[in-house]
Amino acid sequence: MAEVLTHAEHDDHDHKPHGWRRWVYATNHKDIGTMYLIFACTMFFIGGGAAMLIRLELFKPGLQFFDPQFFNSLTTMHALIMIFGAVMPGWTGLANWMIPMQVGAPDMALPRLNNLSFWILPFAFTLLIASFFVPGGAPAGGWTMYPPLILQTGAAFPMLIFSIHLMGASSILGAINIIVTIMNMRAPALSLLRLPLFVWTWLITAYLLIAVMPVLAGAVTMLLTDHFFGTTFFTAAGGGDPVMFQHIFWFFGHPEVYILILPAFGIVSEVIPTFSRKPLFGYEAMVYATASIAFLSFIVWAHHMFTVGMPLAAQLFFMLSTMLIAVPTGVKVFNWTTTMWKGSLSFEPPMLFALAFLFLFTIGGFSGLMLAIVPADYQYQDTYFVVAHFHYVLVPGAIFGMMAGVYYWLPKWTGHMYDMKLAKWHFWLSTIFVNVLFFPQHFLGLAGMPRRIPDYAVQFTDWNMVSSIGGFAFGLAQLLFPYIIWKCVRGGERIGNRAWEGAHGLEWELPSPPPYHSWTTPPSDAVIARGAEH
Amino acid sequence: MSGTDMALEEQRRLRVRRSALVWALIAAAFYIGFIVLTLVRGAK
Repeated sequence: MAEVLTHAEHDDHDHKPHGWRRWVYATNHKDIGTMYLIFACTMFFIGGGAAMLIRLELFKPGLQFFDPQFFNSLTTMHALIMIFGAVMPGWTGLANWMIPMQVGAPDMALPRLNNLSFWILPFAFTLLIASFFVPGGAPAGGWTMYPPLILQTGAAFPMLIFSIHLMGASSILGAINIIVTIMNMRAPALSLLRLPLFVWTWLITAYLLIAVMPVLAGAVTMLLTDHFFGTTFFTAAGGGDPVMFQHIFWFFGHPEVYILILPAFGIVSEVIPTFSRKPLFGYEAMVYATASIAFLSFIVWAHHMFTVGMPLAAQLFFMLSTMLIAVPTGVKVFNWTTTMWKGSLSFEPPMLFALAFLFLFTIGGFSGLMLAIVPADYQYQDTYFVVAHFHYVLVPGAIFGMMAGVYYWLPKWTGHMYDMKLAKWHFWLSTIFVNVLFFPQHFLGLAGMPRRIPDYAVQFTDWNMVSSIGGFAFGLAQLLFPYIIWKCVRGGERIGNRAWEGAHGLEWELPSPPPYHSWTTPPSDAVIARGAEH
Repeated sequence: MSGTDMALEEQRRLRVRRSALVWALIAAAFYIGFIVLTLVRGAK
């Protein structure tokens, strides 16, 4: 007699649709996470392609390949694609994959909303990238979209504004989902102060997203009405104030920097204890430091615009509040270092990327402190020193943090260990050439080379050549990354639940690869106690 | 699933729905509110 199974009993219980429906109608957190990560990786290579063209043009002085308008389109689109298309969706992809597994939930709280958040993005970026092909070309006024320059954009202008609205809506929906999941779906015994640091940093990031994305939406809507409906918010001739846009933009823009970096802090806080085989030093201090950084990020925005002219008191306030961020950031760097102190260290690829993050992000932090000093900033403003600073924060900071996360959890996702040797090659090539690429830009900036120009004075030639060679090599090295992932997905050495000997956390209690629905019943207190040793 | 489990699950569903609604309202109020505010100010 054939055995009849009830709905709750049958074997896989995943109702996994097959073919294209699995992806278009996806509601599973792992499927959506995978789509986010593939999307982010694609945008990383498109944005990286724009960066290669920029470095190609800057290899020698004089105009080599592009007219200045197209060069400025490249810099603008490179930034928009990398920030909104690569880094933010990359973090959301990791959040989708890991948060339900780390909090003991079967899935995200709002799976259909999750689907919508993702599928908005391909439309937004198709619209944005298509602007290269309309009359007037892609936006060229910089990712900061300062008026009045940005108002001179041609047919691409409404495409830019609409795509930013779409990206903002996607981010806000994703943030709501993450907050609701963490607050309501975590296992009953998993109190807030037992959450993994990646979950904590994402929770704080989600609050930041909800707080600041509407500000960007408001700012670009004002640009839209200035352009098409006769308002003069930012037009001096009509009584408006272009500097007001800068204030509004950076009220969004500075917290945005922390939206890009906080999840990396979370990953590094997971990776370093695992490969030091020690609990994280100062777990609670790390949580409070993250929250402090998020709070301070709202009161420092005008350090991006010291040279517009502002009262001395405002300059002092923004200089000191910016310097204050070094305190909680210093707490973090101290705690990561102390976690390694007397630990039993090993140097697998996630740890290597985390260590590179620690050293190189700190360089970006130090140059940030230099930029916070008002009189010094008057010299550095709009030079390559600023470019070097924020690329040290975002490439060996956010991107290396993301790579550490992917190399840390990839064996869990696939059930296979990846090619360790190739991953180490990826690390060393990336780390060497990211410095060849960006370190000389400090010298160029200090010597006075302005940013956002396709041509430069001949005395800047040597370091530009070095920087471009670093850029091409760094770009080529990144091709290893999708290859390593693809190879790992296809096969490799089988691993057990716990891919890394020193790993703790609920995700490591699940099989590798994990079942389609992560925790169909909440983990027991004993499992949580075993997994939640920070 | 036992009766207690189902009751707990139902409670959780309610909590998820309620907090999703609250956050959606907060986000929408921020998003739409900020835009409306600027447009109203622009119309003056």
